[in-house]
Amino acid sequence: MPRSKLDAAARRNRILANTIVIALAIITLLPFLWFVVMSFKPADDIFAGIDGFFFTPTLENYTSLWNDRFAGSMLNSFITSSVSTILALVIGTPGAYALSRATMKQERTFSLLILASRMAPPVAFAIPYFLVYRYMGLLDTRTGLILVYLTFNLALVVWLMRNFFDATPRALEEAAWIDGASLWKTFMVIVLPMSGPALVTTAILCFLYSWNDFFFALTLTRNNAMTAPVEVVNFMNYEGWEWGKIAAGGTLIMVPVLAFSLLMRKYLVAGMTAGAVKG
Amino acid sequence: MNGVRIEGVRKAYGALDVLHGIDIDIEDGEFVTLVGPSGCGKSTLLRMIAGLETISDGTINIAGRVVNEVAPKDRDIAMVFQNYALYPHMTVAQNMGFSLKLRGVDALKIKSAVEAAAEILDLSKLLERYPKQLSGGQRQRVAMGRAIVRDPEVFLFDEPLSNLDAKLRVQMRSEIKGLHQRLKTTTIYVTHDQIEAMTMADKIVVMRDGRVEQVGKPLDLYDRPANLFVAGFIGSPSMNFLPATMSAGSVRMADGIALPAGARADAGNAPQQVMYGIRPEHIAVAAEGIPATVSLVEPTGAETVLSFAIGKETLTAVVRDRLSVQPGDQVFLQFQQGAEHLFDAASGARLA
Repeated sequence: MPRSKLDAAARRNRILANTIVIALAIITLLPFLWFVVMSFKPADDIFAGIDGFFFTPTLENYTSLWNDRFAGSMLNSFITSSVSTILALVIGTPGAYALSRATMKQERTFSLLILASRMAPPVAFAIPYFLVYRYMGLLDTRTGLILVYLTFNLALVVWLMRNFFDATPRALEEAAWIDGASLWKTFMVIVLPMSGPALVTTAILCFLYSWNDFFFALTLTRNNAMTAPVEVVNFMNYEGWEWGKIAAGGTLIMVPVLAFSLLMRKYLVAGMTAGAVKG
Repeated sequence: MNGVRIEGVRKAYGALDVLHGIDIDIEDGEFVTLVGPSGCGKSTLLRMIAGLETISDGTINIAGRVVNEVAPKDRDIAMVFQNYALYPHMTVAQNMGFSLKLRGVDALKIKSAVEAAAEILDLSKLLERYPKQLSGGQRQRVAMGRAIVRDPEVFLFDEPLSNLDAKLRVQMRSEIKGLHQRLKTTTIYVTHDQIEAMTMADKIVVMRDGRVEQVGKPLDLYDRPANLFVAGFIGSPSMNFLPATMSAGSVRMADGIALPAGARADAGNAPQQVMYGIRPEHIAVAAEGIPATVSLVEPTGAETVLSFAIGKETLTAVVRDRLSVQPGDQVFLQFQQGAEHLFDAASGARLA
């Protein structure tokens, strides 16, 4: 039967594809897994080579973190990331909408200029920020970090949301105008509720950008506002490298990233492809 | 005066003129269709009436008030869009009541207005559903319900049926017409489908390339099209056109075949190039008349569409009798007396 032959071929292809995917996943995730396993190892077993393959899991790395300054740095990370994300969305989304619906000639140029701020290497901004912040007393403050992240996230929000708005039909807004809604009301009551998936996607990307930032936190903070990624690196000091703490801290930093991605997987994919094809 | 009056309306996008001075008078309670091929400016004109496009020149007057500078929401209009434009995150009831809610009408009144409209449109059981849970025809009804609830001065329809399948389209066509007969609200309806225009309208405005070609009652347009374009656009299958010369009381095709033209042909003194128009339904196969060769037979059940070669020209006829003719058969055609149309070959304008 030709049909079963086709079925067999399809099955073979599927098995082949799955094998490749699994192999790639293992290669990509292996360092990550190793890191996570390391965080549960007692200090003596970390460099035990093959002997360290079997070990009694322990939480001592995590509990020692808890007594350290690390908890405070996690809080700093969380506050700076969330506040900068929320502010970027609140300010950037109406801006993106305006740019999308504007009829001015230079709007494409404007959008590109906004994006350009994301293209320059961070180091180009770091020194000016440092000098200005020193003058303004914003060094080593959460507010200072939030402002930096805000400028970068704003560009991301405007760019992503603008593309999303460009792809949404205007008939709905026109219907709302005729129904009697003002421009602002239309935006709040009609446009925003439809933008849920795109907003969530953008929010996650903004949050992750701020959360993962190392460079600005390193240059602009010292003690009070230090974020978790920088704090982890401080475990490598001249008194010795505390590998257990580094692994435990690194794992903790990854937790929200992972949780976000898994929780919002549906939105992430929907948001990424929103407007790509007629749904 | 109530109704809608459009005077000298122009629309230009930069240097490109898309509407070149439109004048249309729409009586209170009238059902007017704007019809024409795509790109003729009919949708632009409708959007200008709605206030979604600016007016480059001229005035639009709704219910005795010039609305050029009036915001869409203050024009007392309701519009039904081609793609329905239902708010996806609101239920049917919320969609229909949205305009009243914005105007601050109290919840009980909104509820009763929505229920009344739902009753008319047979939507009562669907009020708590979301648009995505509805079929195309139901969505169309909700869009109409949203318009009805407002009780506006004018309904605007922008090709509302073009997303529906053929059968539903015919059904919704009658429903919209029935609705108009019941509500008697002034309606402006844009379509590219001349059958929709013919069946629904009190008055048809035929447009082409940003100009009005003819305004009239459906049957007036059918019986006395003002020019070749309207003659070819209104009626299905389209009117047949035969190039001919009119002189001294007769109309002859290039190869000498005489076409029956009755008294109208007397008008010409000097020989004149004309387009001779005859509708397919005004041609019959007879024992004598104009010789023709059958080239195609297309039975549709109730009637049969026949194509003929007559001289170098082709001709379509629609007959209700079941004729036993085959492609290649020689037959004779009779044109119904007085049913011919004569147009100037150069300008396309109707002669007499």
